[in-house]
Order: sequence, then C-alpha cells, then structure tokens
Amino acid sequence: MDTFLQQLINGLTVGSLYALVALGYTMVYGVMKLINFAHGDMVAFSAYVGLTIFTQFYGSNALSLVNIVIVFSLTAIVVAFIGVLLERLAYRPLRTAPRLSAVVSALGASLVIQNGIMLIWGPNMEIFPANVFPSTSWNFGGVIISFTQVVILALSAVLMISLYIFINKTKIGTAIRATAIDQSAAKLMGINVNRIIMTIFIVGSMLGAIGGLFIGIYYRGLTFDMGWLYGLNAFIAAIIGGIGSIPGAMLGGLLLGLFNAMISGYISTEWAETFTFILLIIILIVRPTGLLGEKTAEKV
Amino acid sequence: MNLKKITGAIALSAVVASSLIASNTVKIGVQAPITGKYANEGQSIENFVKLIVDEKNAQGGLLGKQIEVVTCDDEAKAQKAAVCAKKLSNAGVFAVIGSYTSGATEAAQTTYYRNKVLQTSDGTSDSLIKRKYWTFFRNSFPNSSQSDFTALYMVKGKQYKRIVVLSDYSSYSAGLGDATEASVKALGGNVIFRGKIKSGVQNFTATLTKIKAMNPDVIYYSGYYTDGGLLRSQQQQLQINADFVGGDSNDNPDFYKLAGKAAEGTVLINFPTPEILPYPEAKKYLSAYKARFKMDPPSIWPVTNADGLRAVIEGVEKTKSFDTKKIAQYVRQMKDFAGITGPFNIREDGERVGAKFVVYKMNANGTKKVVTE
Repeated sequence: MDTFLQQLINGLTVGSLYALVALGYTMVYGVMKLINFAHGDMVAFSAYVGLTIFTQFYGSNALSLVNIVIVFSLTAIVVAFIGVLLERLAYRPLRTAPRLSAVVSALGASLVIQNGIMLIWGPNMEIFPANVFPSTSWNFGGVIISFTQVVILALSAVLMISLYIFINKTKIGTAIRATAIDQSAAKLMGINVNRIIMTIFIVGSMLGAIGGLFIGIYYRGLTFDMGWLYGLNAFIAAIIGGIGSIPGAMLGGLLLGLFNAMISGYISTEWAETFTFILLIIILIVRPTGLLGEKTAEKV
Repeated sequence: MNLKKITGAIALSAVVASSLIASNTVKIGVQAPITGKYANEGQSIENFVKLIVDEKNAQGGLLGKQIEVVTCDDEAKAQKAAVCAKKLSNAGVFAVIGSYTSGATEAAQTTYYRNKVLQTSDGTSDSLIKRKYWTFFRNSFPNSSQSDFTALYMVKGKQYKRIVVLSDYSSYSAGLGDATEASVKALGGNVIFRGKIKSGVQNFTATLTKIKAMNPDVIYYSGYYTDGGLLRSQQQQLQINADFVGGDSNDNPDFYKLAGKAAEGTVLINFPTPEILPYPEAKKYLSAYKARFKMDPPSIWPVTNADGLRAVIEGVEKTKSFDTKKIAQYVRQMKDFAGITGPFNIREDGERVGAKFVVYKMNANGTKKVVTE
C-alpha cells in the first residue's frame, strides 16, 4: 500500500509540472488556434535563467523566503518578456497567414530558443544547487514527501486555482474567453485583441517559467534540449485534457503524471511511453476533443 | 587478372620498394582523433608516442634505425578511420598506435590485418577481439573485465545479499549491466532486480519506489553520470537505505554536483587515473610527459597506448626483426612486461588480461578516495 501511495505522490509531483507547462499550450491554442511549439523550450530557458539568477545573486548559500520570491519573480518577468517578444516576432506577422505557416514559424522559434540556450550556456549539463529548498522530508508510514514536493504541489495548486478565477471571474478573463470564441466579434465589442494575446503570452510564459524553475530545483540537471522532453509531455497532457480548455490542461497533466508513474512502477519503464501514446489514442478515439474539451464546429 | 589486382600489385611493390630505399628509418603510425570531440585524448596519444619514440631514437633507435612517426587524424569517425588505415599502410608503417575510440579502431582493423601492420588500441569494446586478427592487440581492458571486478567487489568484498542492477538502454550501459548481472550470478550472488531506466528523463522515482519495496542492500548503476547522480539523489530522497555503486561512466565531477548531499559514500568503480598508478615506469614516464608537454595526460587511455607502443618496441628488440608476425607472437608470449599501467600480458586472441580497477569512495566535499580492494 505504501508503495502505491508513494507512486501516487511521485506521479502527482511530475503531473503538476506537466500541468503548469500544459497551461501555456492550451491558453495559446484556445485564443489563437496555434500550437506554440516553442513553449517547451521557453520552459527550459526559464530553468537556465533561474539558475543564472540564483548563482549570480545568492552564491551557494541557502536561500531565505524573500530571496526565493525575488528569484521566482525575476525569472517570470524575464521569461514573460521573451514570450511577448516571441509573439511579436514569430506569430503576429503570420496571424492572417495560413495556419501551417504559423506552425512552421513555431517550430523555427523552438529551434532558435534551443540553440540560443546552447550558445549562451553551452552544450554541457548545467546543474542547479542542491540547497535552494531545505532538504527536509516527512515520512508518513513509509510514504516520503520532501519539502520541495510539497512546495511544488501547493504552489501549482494555488497558481491553477488563481488562473481559473482570473479567467472566469475577472473582466480581462471574460475578454480572453470572448476572444477565444470569436476574434473579430470580440474586436467589434471593443476588445483590444492584440493586448489580449499579449496577456495570454505573458500569463502562459510565467506559468511555464515557474514550471521550469521547479523542474530545475527538483531534478537539478539542465540540458539545452530538455524543453523538448517536457514540451512533448505537456503537449500530450493538453490534448488528453482537451486542448483549449484550461481545467482540461490541469486534469490532463495530473493524469499523465499519475499514469506514467503507475506504468513505470508496476509494468515497465520501457513501456511507459508506449502506453502513454496508447492512452492518448484511446482518448482521442472515444472523445476526439479530449476529456474536458468543448465540441466546436470547425469552420471549413 | 583484373585491373584491381594489377594496381594492387603495383602499389604493393611500390610499398616494398620504398621501404627498401628508406632503409635507415622505420615508420610507426599514430591513428587518433587529433581534432573533434576527443581531440585532447588523440593529441595526448600522439604526444606520448613521440615522447617514447624520441627517447628510443636518442638511445640509437630501433635495431639501429631511427623511428619516424606518421600521424593520421581519424576524428573518431569510422569513415575517416578507414581512410587512415589505407594511408598509414601505404606510408609503410609496421605498427599503428590507436585509435582512441572502439568504433574508429574497428573500422581500421581489417585493412591493417590485410597489410600485415600491427595495431594496438585502448578501445574497450569487447567486439574488438572478436575477429581474432593476429595483427591486433588491446592495450586497455575490455568492458567485460569491469563486470567481473564489480561482481567480486559486491559479492565477495562487501558481501551484499540483495543486489539491484540498473542500466539505461544504450548498448554500452545495458551491455555492462547484463555482464555484471551474469558475473554476480556466476559468483553465487543474488540479483533481486535487473531494471533499465531511460537516460535523460530525470524522474526515476517510479523505478526507485518499486526497488524500495524489494529492500536491496546495494544499487549498482552501469550508465552515465548525468543519470547516475540524479538516481543517487532521488534514492536518498526516497530514503532507500542501500549503498550505491556506479560503473566507470559515473566517474565525473558532475555526478557529485547532481547527487548533492547524497554523493557522500557513493562508490565508483573505474580504471585507475594516471596520477595514482603505483608502478616505477609510471613515475618515470608521467613526469617526463609533464616536463615536456606542461600538462598531465587527460586520462588513462593515452598511457595504455604508450604501453602498447612499448610492447611493440620490446617485441622488435627481442626478436631482432621487423617481421610483424614474429613481433605479434612475441607480444602474446610476454610475461608481466613492466608497463606504465601495470603488468602487461596479452592473450592469444589479442586481449590484455589481468585488469586492474580501482574502487573510489566519494567524500562529502566531492573529492574521491581510493579504498582498498
């Protein structure tokens, strides 16, 4: 039983990281009908930026809460800025172009960011300090939860709930939802679509930045091509939950993390990826729009 | 008689002729990655060869002939290695030192064999001696010798009763993992789990949680440091109270950084690094190397290649001939030739036997200390 519970905790931790990243995919898709392939690399970039800020400002000493908040905020701001830049340079000029052009542009942006990381930080593995969070952990009858895991689970939950409130209860959130339904109608209602898209990129990038920092702090080893790994998994999570749906991305991320942990734990790590894709195919056959995706009539 | 054979015959006679004309010098080839990813290793092999050749030349040369070194850069690539093999054979070398990687060595083997050119390499892949060419002998130790040593350490040395063997899916790591499992079983040890992790996925908690329930004494990992360090750190986080033993590819400073606090007490099994070689030849040649090139060799591999060269020279001097067949036979009969990397013994199939490995234990500050075998 404790093995099962431990796998549950393992799965939830990875799952909430996937969920944070998946939100970036799903928000952009919801509004722009564009799959932002560069998002995974933005996550990797955030981890590198976070590492640089950590080592630049705080050396190898253990960090205080204030310092951690500063590092997280600074990283989020830097990455949000790059996210806005990405939208301006790679996506906005192609907004009226065929959808395929934008997808190619996204793939190009992904490569640019990945190579940028390699040129700035080098191709070798960079390593996060081990003492960002205290290494305390708790043992509940054989089930072990570390301080870092608690922070990841708690902060992810808080961020997701705030995002849900932001989208559903605020004026900007309403505008975002309106833009997602129909851009030109939203424009007619006096909504500044450009500003909404910018907001989406800022929020999505910030969530990705937090995800990237957590990945760095939890796993510590950073490689310039790691964005691909997390990007792909988060993308699958977004599709499982229903791409375009924000609660869907959260649910998809958590489910994917749990599913992976259980398959790896009880069947084989070799088969984990195979089963993940089988799950994806089954979900797409039974519910083509994903678990929480809305049925929309596609314009042809 | 086709055109190919005629040109072959002409080329061969040209080689014979040229070697007859230049009778007061004799050529030794170096095939090594002088440029590219392994450039520091390749250059060090060339440097070490030059060091030993110059020493020999100063003493009057080999059977009265001065040795000339011909270097060919194979960039650690199989295609370039094949070109180098032809180039060096045509240049009339009687022996070739190198290459550094198993792949580049293997790609050149057949050409040297056909041209009756001796070849000695540090490549550790077991497949290098599969073809049993009499022209080839290994100057380092094969991967399989590591598994025997590791098994001996775990089963007889530390008396572990419940052994977990992990690897990744790469052929090197999985091969070493399988070999270690087999060696442990051969010694009567108990492998309770043989698992594989996916290199680079970073999250190994699922596999580790599964292992935890099995209550192991030791986790042996045969993959690379990038995954090994994380594995060790996540093992500690999950409070699995088992020792951790890593194969040679875990021996990297980044292992310590990734494992963090958990690095302390980790055991790594590797070939000895040059500076801890205890033999008198090692002291002599390594200080000469440092004096001339202002640095230490980057690893043990250029040093084992130097031993390969010294064995060839010894063969020439003892058989008093440049007949490669005779030299090859002599090298295979040598008993405990005093090498820089320890006693040098070559088996009939060209394998170097009597492997020496070192067990390191990691200290809290990231330094390693050698523990007695």
